[in-house]
Amino acid sequence: MVANKEERRRRSSSIISHVQPETIEEQIDQAALPNLNANWVHNKGAWVIHFVLIAGLKIFYDLLPGVSQELSWTLTNISYVVGSYLMFHYVTGIPFEFNAGAYDNLNMWEQIDNGDQYTPTKKFLLGVPIGLFLISTHYTHYDLGMFVLNCIACMCVVIPKLPSSHRMRLTVPDVLSSSS
Amino acid sequence: MSLHDTLVYINTTVESISAQFNRIPGSAIILRYVRSSYQNDPVRSLLEFCLFLFAVRYFLASKYSVAKKDFVKLSTKEVDELIDDWTPEPLVVSLDDAAKAEIEKIPVIVGQTGPKVKLATGKAVMNLASPNMLNLVSNEQMKKDAVSTIREYGVGVCGPSGFYGYQEVHIEAEKAIANFLGVPAALLYAQAFNTISATIPAFAKRGDIIVADSACGIAICKGITISRSTVRWFEHNDMEDLERVLASVQKEFKGQPLTRRFIVSEGLFENVGDICDLPRIIELKAKYKYRLILDESYSIGVIGKVGRGTSEYFGIDPNKIDMIIGSMANTMVAGGGFCAGSEYVVKHQRINGNAYVFSAALPGYLAKTASTALGIMATSPEMFTQLKQNARAFRDVINKSQYVYSPSDPESPLIHLRLKSEVLETRKIEDENRFLQDVVDECINNGVLVSRNKYVQSQEVFPVLPSLKLQVTTGLTKKETEKAAMVVKAAISKIMAKTPKIKR
Repeated sequence: MVANKEERRRRSSSIISHVQPETIEEQIDQAALPNLNANWVHNKGAWVIHFVLIAGLKIFYDLLPGVSQELSWTLTNISYVVGSYLMFHYVTGIPFEFNAGAYDNLNMWEQIDNGDQYTPTKKFLLGVPIGLFLISTHYTHYDLGMFVLNCIACMCVVIPKLPSSHRMRLTVPDVLSSSS
Repeated sequence: MSLHDTLVYINTTVESISAQFNRIPGSAIILRYVRSSYQNDPVRSLLEFCLFLFAVRYFLASKYSVAKKDFVKLSTKEVDELIDDWTPEPLVVSLDDAAKAEIEKIPVIVGQTGPKVKLATGKAVMNLASPNMLNLVSNEQMKKDAVSTIREYGVGVCGPSGFYGYQEVHIEAEKAIANFLGVPAALLYAQAFNTISATIPAFAKRGDIIVADSACGIAICKGITISRSTVRWFEHNDMEDLERVLASVQKEFKGQPLTRRFIVSEGLFENVGDICDLPRIIELKAKYKYRLILDESYSIGVIGKVGRGTSEYFGIDPNKIDMIIGSMANTMVAGGGFCAGSEYVVKHQRINGNAYVFSAALPGYLAKTASTALGIMATSPEMFTQLKQNARAFRDVINKSQYVYSPSDPESPLIHLRLKSEVLETRKIEDENRFLQDVVDECINNGVLVSRNKYVQSQEVFPVLPSLKLQVTTGLTKKETEKAAMVVKAAISKIMAKTPKIKR
């Protein structure tokens, strides 16, 4: 029956799919040890580092010759967004070997708080890019081009954090590898 | 109330609100921010405002769990009732009749084990039930080395290998094994059973693919389960089926990220007694790009010119087998197991082989006797010739039996005897294992100690066929082996005579 379901999913040309629920074995392995890959985000330092990194990026871009204030803020915003997207939404699994690969299908955002929604850490992590976006648009003096760039960047990290995109995957159909 | 009054009222209200607002600390900043951010662009301001509202809504939402609740909430009363109703089961369940009978039938050996032993009943029997195939148990050099090692190092180390568990003798044993097999390196595990069930999960993880022989023993099956890999089984020793499975895996996982792939098989199958088709497996593994994990627990020290196992039997370079797993508890009559292969394979397990990292190391004297056993084996090919002759002699006699057949290799000293299917059809045998147990008892009464193949079916992946498991030894002469075979054959015939035929 499971095989049928998988087959059906593969045949549909939808680019949106959801990660299959964990099997009993995977659940056991997930619960075997605390998830050290996702638990550190609750620490105070892990919250502060966001501001430190943003300030660091800003200073770095300010120091580059020929970078205007507008561009500097936009670059700061985009760098932060790219970094956090890679970290929270792109990379799946755990870099350490203690869950026998039970988290291989989940990205870090989905691992935080075991997938619970609206937890304090998740609220914080969602608030940071929104705040950064508002600030950066403010300091770019509402230049339309910069605004659009910053807005798209912000959306790229806000949308994957929504509860409705939990365990959702967008797959670009690969024509070459499709089997008969 | 006139229109004028209303306007005045609205005006004063707005003024008082704005005055109140101005009194709030920081309101000037907000006003300035709103004013500068508006900049004659209502759409953008609306967008920002919506984003702000969304953030506020997100912050105010209460936490919820996405995991489905898989428990029922009980009231205190219900909990109490359940506790009152509960009667604890005994810690040790009393045995049923079958289990009692099984325990009663276990023979007890008095004194040292060997090819000829004395039972607690006082009866002297020939021992075909222990894997002492080369009779190293009776070897004086082995005993001497064990004693001197105990005098020097004591009986055990009580620490894992990485934690003061390894002694000089362990390193020597590793070198001896690697030299004996002709591979770069080897490492010792403290238990033979755990060796393969630690080696497989050390390399194969979730998402990796294992293609395994369906007659693999329980240790291999457990190792595969622990590894969480995707497993595909092929028919026992059927190379066409293996190729079919490999091709189907190739098709099934095409286009997916490449993961590690392994073929797992046994050299001499513990539950069957036949030898895997190593040349063909090596060919297929190269063709489909797999690694080979070969469990040689029953083939090292058993087959080959001086007992180097399957690779020597087929004349294949052992380095073509990625991981050779062997047991030192069978013919080498020591204890523990080992995994031999390339430097990388061995090094990886020193930190990833769970049984290596977390088990107390092998007692020093067992490591020492294993090295000694390898030395004896390497210098005495005549033992293996005699072992082969004995196995053949045994088979020549048993082949004449009209009731049993052996799926084992003709030269294998590990011999399984199964009831022929026509016998099972024509005779009223309710429980095959019960029947075989009667044969075992009859054999013991006539001076030959044999055993059934014992297994726990609920733990096995595939059904194991009931069989008698006999292990020929060089400790008995060809004549004695033939005599033992006659006894076994006669016992089968005798028990069969008592079994009624099915009336048609």
